[in-house]
Amino acid sequence: MPWKAILRQLWLPALVFVVLLTATAGSTSFYFPPLTEVLTTLWEELAHGGLVEDLLFSLRNILLGLALATVVGVGAGLVIGEIRTLRLATAPLLDFARATPTVGFVPVIILTLGIGSGPKVFLIFLGSVWPILLNTVSGVQAIGPAVHETARGYRIPWPLRLRRVILPGALPQILAGIRVALSIAVVLMVVSEIYGSPVGLGNFILQSGSSFHVAETWAGTILIGVLGYGLSVLLLLVEHRVLGWYHQRAPRVRSTRPVPAEHTDSTESAKSNGVVV
Amino acid sequence: MAKVRLLQLGALAAVLTLWALVAAVGVVSATALPGPGSVAGALGDLLGSGVFWQAVGETLRGAVTGLLVAIAVGIPVGLVTGVYAAAEESSRLLVEILRSFPVIALLPVFLLVLGSTPGMKATVVFIACVFPVLLQAQYGAQAVTPAIHETADSYRIPRLLRFRRVILPGAVPSIMTGLRLAATTSVLVSIGVEVLTTLPGMGHMIMESQQGGSSARAYAYILSAGAIGYAITLLAQFAEHRLLRWRPPVHPGGE
Repeated sequence: MPWKAILRQLWLPALVFVVLLTATAGSTSFYFPPLTEVLTTLWEELAHGGLVEDLLFSLRNILLGLALATVVGVGAGLVIGEIRTLRLATAPLLDFARATPTVGFVPVIILTLGIGSGPKVFLIFLGSVWPILLNTVSGVQAIGPAVHETARGYRIPWPLRLRRVILPGALPQILAGIRVALSIAVVLMVVSEIYGSPVGLGNFILQSGSSFHVAETWAGTILIGVLGYGLSVLLLLVEHRVLGWYHQRAPRVRSTRPVPAEHTDSTESAKSNGVVV
Repeated sequence: MAKVRLLQLGALAAVLTLWALVAAVGVVSATALPGPGSVAGALGDLLGSGVFWQAVGETLRGAVTGLLVAIAVGIPVGLVTGVYAAAEESSRLLVEILRSFPVIALLPVFLLVLGSTPGMKATVVFIACVFPVLLQAQYGAQAVTPAIHETADSYRIPRLLRFRRVILPGAVPSIMTGLRLAATTSVLVSIGVEVLTTLPGMGHMIMESQQGGSSARAYAYILSAGAIGYAITLLAQFAEHRLLRWRPPVHPGGE
């Protein structure tokens, strides 16, 4: 009975929504306007205001930055993962790079390169490339030695091996990395637009907030949340499509692969998919 | 091991050389990417100055306050939702939505409601950190096998005692992973908030340095922030190994 399961998962969110709705219904509080008012504001801004333009600007930056990070991260990750010397040599550097807060680069980049779209795409790229790269490396490593030996035994040429053996083998980890990168990308989108931008969702909530249009601020904040959640759901759908073969496999096959200690870090963070900033 | 260290030093040298070359050739302006020499100089100056350590202290204070509250809330809630399937099912969607919410987007709202205060910074850190802790505690509690539950049942171990002495220790490996994630996140969020507000701390110093035209100093701050994050990761890994020596070396049962 699937509807029963759905009901079990939905009752609490629905209850919270209703409580918020009734609690704020007659609200005269300046900071917490009625939820209905926030939602109508959101609708009106989307339908008649310039909010769609802001949304598209933000969405485009996220997608561009993320696409760039995926290409570079997966490319570099495959190379580093395949060449043992390179992997050993770069491990601490990569860990350090990932620990460095990209938000710190926001003032540096925006103050020198301007408030346009380019620097923002670059910032999103800079923040999201590390989880993708590190996950690709550990994904390549997690491919069993038997697979490598078989590929070598059949003398499969390396371009073919890369495309048909290594890339599919690392794909589960790569997609997990992209999921982590997505949440970073959304954060950097917001931060870079709050810091300096004439358009975008971040700019919208900043402007409305500093001019005390509280309903607009809440509406923009909700829209950003919806955007972030929508994108991550979309990514999950892609993952289930692309990785159907992987999820259907017995979990035993997935967990017996020993993950070397120095890289458990990235696999765990991918698995737990914690909020990363 | 020595050979690996040598390799790693070589890679570091290569990156520094590349950096110096790019900065020297002038592909990008010196304000966007100052050379490693000037950044090292600025870093040296910073380490000796009180302003720097004060900024580090402010950043860490916000991060640690938020993190501690997140631990205090996240672990109990995670354990309870991990043990009772009904609680997990009911809260799943809510947690899922809240978790994927970009916390920093709440900043304008928080600036309105709470104002630009250290408490606001800690609140933002708390919201960002509570979900990794909560979810890892939940995974950990779910990994406690039915046999253990049945044993505890048949000995009639009271509920509170069971949470404290059976489920919590069982979930610790998973919780440690959550703590490590949350600890790194806390510093990042703290700095992120400081970049966007006027609250004192490393993030604010990055902005001030860059606006004052000293990008070398801004980079020195960014790199030291990276060093703090890296140190936290290493420390947490070390603590994890020490704390979990009793555990047989198996992979923590996640999902």
